[in-house]
Amino acid sequence: MFRILSILFTLLVAGPAFGQAVVTTDNVRAELISEAATVKPGEPFWVALRQTMKPHWHTYWKNPGDAGQATDIKWTLPAGATAEAIVWPVPAVIDVGGVINYGFSDEAMLLVRITPPAGPATGTLRLEAAAEWLVCNDVCIPEEGKFALDLPVGPAAKPATAATLALFDKARRQVPTDSPWPARFGVAKAAGDKTGDPTLIVEAKGLKPETVRDVYFFPAEWGFVAHSPKHAAVVTAEGIRVPLKKGDAKAAVPQTLAGVLVLTEKTADGNQRQAFNVSAKFDPAFVPAPMPLAALATDEQLTLFEALLFALVGGLILNLMPCVFPVLAMKAAAFARLAGTAPGEIRRDGLAYTAGVLASFGAMAAIVLAIRASVGEVSWGFQFQSPVFSLLVAYLFFTVGLNLSGLFEISGRFTGMGQGLVGRGGTTGAFFTGVLAVIVATPCTAPFMAAALGFALSQPGPKTVAVLLAMGLGLALPYLVLSLTPALQRRLPRPGLWMDRLRQLLAFPMYASAIWMVWVLVQQTGADGVLYALGGMVLIGFAIWLLRFGPAETLAGWLRRGTAIASIALALAAVVKIEEGSATASSSPSGGASTGVSFDGWERFSRARMTEAVAAGKPVFVDFTAAWCITCLVNERVALETPATRRAFEQTGTVKLKGDWTNRDPEISALLKELGRAGVPLYLFWPPGADRPKILPQVLTEAAIVSELSSIQQAKR
Amino acid sequence: MSNFTVHRRSLILGSAAVAMVPAVAWPSSDLGKAAPAFSATDSNGKAWSLAELKGKVVVLETTNHDCPYVRKHYISTNMQTQQREAAAKGVVWLTVASSATGEQGHVTAAQANELTRSRNASPAGVLLDPQSKIARAYGATVTPHMYIIDAAGMLVYKGGIDSIPSSDVADIAKATQYVRVALDQVLGGKQVADSSTRPYGCTLKYPRTST
Repeated sequence: MFRILSILFTLLVAGPAFGQAVVTTDNVRAELISEAATVKPGEPFWVALRQTMKPHWHTYWKNPGDAGQATDIKWTLPAGATAEAIVWPVPAVIDVGGVINYGFSDEAMLLVRITPPAGPATGTLRLEAAAEWLVCNDVCIPEEGKFALDLPVGPAAKPATAATLALFDKARRQVPTDSPWPARFGVAKAAGDKTGDPTLIVEAKGLKPETVRDVYFFPAEWGFVAHSPKHAAVVTAEGIRVPLKKGDAKAAVPQTLAGVLVLTEKTADGNQRQAFNVSAKFDPAFVPAPMPLAALATDEQLTLFEALLFALVGGLILNLMPCVFPVLAMKAAAFARLAGTAPGEIRRDGLAYTAGVLASFGAMAAIVLAIRASVGEVSWGFQFQSPVFSLLVAYLFFTVGLNLSGLFEISGRFTGMGQGLVGRGGTTGAFFTGVLAVIVATPCTAPFMAAALGFALSQPGPKTVAVLLAMGLGLALPYLVLSLTPALQRRLPRPGLWMDRLRQLLAFPMYASAIWMVWVLVQQTGADGVLYALGGMVLIGFAIWLLRFGPAETLAGWLRRGTAIASIALALAAVVKIEEGSATASSSPSGGASTGVSFDGWERFSRARMTEAVAAGKPVFVDFTAAWCITCLVNERVALETPATRRAFEQTGTVKLKGDWTNRDPEISALLKELGRAGVPLYLFWPPGADRPKILPQVLTEAAIVSELSSIQQAKR
Repeated sequence: MSNFTVHRRSLILGSAAVAMVPAVAWPSSDLGKAAPAFSATDSNGKAWSLAELKGKVVVLETTNHDCPYVRKHYISTNMQTQQREAAAKGVVWLTVASSATGEQGHVTAAQANELTRSRNASPAGVLLDPQSKIARAYGATVTPHMYIIDAAGMLVYKGGIDSIPSSDVADIAKATQYVRVALDQVLGGKQVADSSTRPYGCTLKYPRTST
């Protein structure tokens, strides 16, 4: 009896060791699967360890982050066979109470390339794998499994079932693509001889900032870069700039920084998540500017009190921004006028002005909350990188400068209702001066406002409102204090000629600021930006000069007005042109060969050529792309330009047409419109003899195209 | 004008940084600087404060007795051995139970004493840190996360207990025991060579309500 039991026991223990493809633990179902049903000697094929986790449990990436441990596979293979390292899918950031882990929830396919020995084409290939993984939800459990897979060896490789192939196809889509752009990183200076925080630049030139968001960089290793919950990346003319935090390793700055960059691209038909393997070279010449606000902020958590204090100081600083100068001048004039009147009136004036500022900031808070409620997470930084914004601000600086110089006066008639109210004087006037202060201050201080908004946005509703109101209070504070303190009022200089002189002097910083904005614009658009910006300024100056002749209700008066409006319209038309132009500039080959649209192996799309090839009964594949479209680029890399796809195109004699929509080519625009598409990527496939094209999905895979092409081959037979 | 440009540019960067403020509010203890002060009561009711330990070398060991990585070093008696070695050299070794109330690894005083007895452990004390305050002050992310504070109160080591991040007992013999090496260097009056190493283990169980 005892012997039988012991034999049974031995069988139970020995049985599961290497003999199965599926291991089910308490929290994970793990399976070793192969993409090949039959393998050919010497011909590499792919297998995967497929982990399916219980809900809320996760396993780890190669760099597990602050805690955890990566899955490890040890192979036992027949002589001559080799297994390569795991090809990891893109991980997710798993934030456990501030401890940042990188891993996989739900499911992970860990791909491994196996090369069988180059032996006779008979028998079986036995793959044995001992895998260890850590699986965690709130608690962590190390688990392991021993797997075995017997694959028949034959003279020709045969693929696994369609369901298995689909799994591999999906897994490949989750593997990062090699970055099409070069990358570099620099390190900020820090106190003493220490190194500061690194900043990564992926030189993806010519992207559209407003279409790229949720950028995150997963460092491949522990040490040099800290694992952060988020990265506040910005898209600039030089590429994607990702400020990082330095990690805990004490070692010197490495020569390369490897990792995975993920981002979401907003395309015409929805959001695409993209991931790239990045290997950034250390660039000693690139020393990122230290970030004063960040330094203040990152050491400790901002309490609400501190946030309010920062916002108040921020508001005070807004008073120093050149845009607010004209309002300052108005305010100064108002005070001068009120000097000597009853202190009560001055106090009322100060309070009304403050109320106006606060009401505007309150309105802004309401807008912010409304946007957040409708869109979810809001990212502000990006829109301020737009060339249109730069141009409009340059115009604004210039116009305000002209005003300060005295070329024209802000009168009720000229700027309409708002100014009319301001001009009214008294309490109402003071209130609307406050509103005006915020309106003029906002655009030219946008980057600064972005800081406040960025913070405010990440807060719960009431905090958002409080922070913005504190900023408003800061803006109004100097006047409020002045109006409430008669002792200070007495020290104000008397009104006089100096006020006009001061005002005229203030025009020069405005002109200088306008020049700076034009310079920024040129960075974004290229040299053409100068033409449009300066041309627009001349038109604005012309319009103002025309309108100065006064309100003659004569034909000549109307003519002048009409011409002025036409000039302004023309100046604004430059804005539209700039938006289109920015795409043109970015497609210029300045960023190296990889940034422009490549026509290697493709014909240039034209409608005539497409119609002709279709009529000739040839299969036609059309790729509509643009230099700024990341998804297009990824599709090319993973699906359109792979050896297998190229071969399939060649074998089927497919006519390959590529349409470059970087410059919004009108012929392509018209076609997109016909097909009900708002933009690229768009892929059309005309099987031979078809009367309408097939619209392929926006995210392509090699398998999808190859199967599309092979279906026509089969139809031919 | 160029100054102005730089200023505005840094503001843009600053704005980006401020946007991530609430999330990156994770204190991290700096090597070569004064170690974050703490005071706590141990499982025997004894009060400890770092300030009063000046003049002595102190080791902090975050713990969670159910974490497989902690268990690895107790089942193998690696941790207990190092605790005894340290005590013999006059080092104050404090085990810090930082799992929040209700989380895995949280212990009462009695449970902590029972663990010390059953595992034959030998720390100078087991600090009860149910609100994870000590762990937070040091920026501990895992259990076990190890710290060494020198006689002057400076943080001279932070990181893992050893060099092989695994839960396998068999790896201990092959690994460099970072804490032991660092302690010898500190006691020998030398600079710690590997003063910041990769900590590995289970995620430290912080209170859930806090961020």
